[in-house]
Amino acid sequence: MSFKKYCCVTCDLIYDEEAGWPDEGFAPGTKWEDIPEDWTCPECSASKSDFYLIA
Amino acid sequence: MSIVIIGAGHAGLTLAREIRVNCKATPITIISRDAIRGYYKPNLSKALSMEKTPDQLVMKSAETIAQDLDVKLLSHVTVIDIDAEHKELRGLFNNTEESSVMTISYHSLVLATGASPIRIPIERDATTELLSINNLEDYEVFRERIQQKKKILIIGAGFVGCELASDLASNGYDVDIVDLCEWPLQRAMPEVMGTEIKKAMAEQGVTWHLGKSLTSVKTDQESGKTAYLSDGTSIHTDAIVSAVGLVPNTRLASNAGVRVQRGIEVDALSQTSQTDVYALGDCVEYKGVTLPFIMPATHAAKALAKTLTGTDTELTLPALPVAVKISACPTVVCPPLNKKGIWQVQGAGMNLEAHFINEEGVMSGFSLTGQCITKKNQLAAECLPALPAGISEIIVHNCTKRAG
Repeated sequence: MSFKKYCCVTCDLIYDEEAGWPDEGFAPGTKWEDIPEDWTCPECSASKSDFYLIA
Repeated sequence: MSIVIIGAGHAGLTLAREIRVNCKATPITIISRDAIRGYYKPNLSKALSMEKTPDQLVMKSAETIAQDLDVKLLSHVTVIDIDAEHKELRGLFNNTEESSVMTISYHSLVLATGASPIRIPIERDATTELLSINNLEDYEVFRERIQQKKKILIIGAGFVGCELASDLASNGYDVDIVDLCEWPLQRAMPEVMGTEIKKAMAEQGVTWHLGKSLTSVKTDQESGKTAYLSDGTSIHTDAIVSAVGLVPNTRLASNAGVRVQRGIEVDALSQTSQTDVYALGDCVEYKGVTLPFIMPATHAAKALAKTLTGTDTELTLPALPVAVKISACPTVVCPPLNKKGIWQVQGAGMNLEAHFINEEGVMSGFSLTGQCITKKNQLAAECLPALPAGISEIIVHNCTKRAG
């Protein structure tokens, strides 16, 4: 299973699918597609659509 | 339908990006008195730990921004005045080689002029620098000044002061902090919590001078800088940074006839008292309150982008907790906007959870330290929103608008 990483365009925060984001309620392995569309960056409030694929 | 944005900080650039989400065609011009560079301002107080030079903090060059967002960027242009009646402004282009005045017309104007560091008067000779860090240019100067140095004095134990102290202390600097307050982050947390932060940072090499002010600085060729505090203490230091807060940049607005209090007054649509003049970010106040953080500006930019592209969208803000980057003691704050109320604290040692309960018995702010920071989102959901819906008894509707 391959995991991807996504980076916030504003603040460079990275969402790593493998690590998930437990503090945000996303278990390790949570796919980017499964994160709600209205979720926003916990650092800067940028939209989910403002994250871009880095790896 | 052309949109002109004054200011290329987080608010201005985020607005442009959000407008492009809704509309590809609207011509957008962004004017900045400085060079335009895309960077994340909160990184300025943690760049040492990120092992980044000022240049490396730049995430997007002007060229990339212009191309990605299809916007016209006017760098090094200072807006001289705004004629809100005729919907045009004059800008002075000024660099080392030339200067010229240009007139730019707009359909909608957005003031995203930011805020400037407050400077408290301190007796010193003209060569003694009092640094402040409010943009990348400032930060470049700061990094130059602290090269090969050891001891840094910070005035101000608020967000920026604490983050900067943490960044410096964890990178081998000796840090002194002076503030009149009794504990760090005093406006955002109760004493017991501030005391924990104080203790944790002291172990890292931060020396606190609280309940005191810096009165004068003497510079000596041989011994360097000596700072004198109100209680007579003297501190030898290599550089002094002032981080005592920001004051909204409102001069342009008030000269244009826009109503200004502490910040530029805006309604729920981010409109000022002048038709088709909007304001956003650190320069504004909502219902008398300035919200000088990244997140409110992002929310406001998203709502205003919709309004400017045809769908009037009122700004509402949930409780927006902010992580304070203190490596010795993880901290999250969500300061109450109204200071009337009491703190209730639970937890032990560094792991504390504090709720601010207002006069109606409702949680209107909170702060978390240590392991308790994981409760950030849960408490944010329970906390009173920063800007609730339905506040439309708005300034703009109460005052006479000029015909557009």
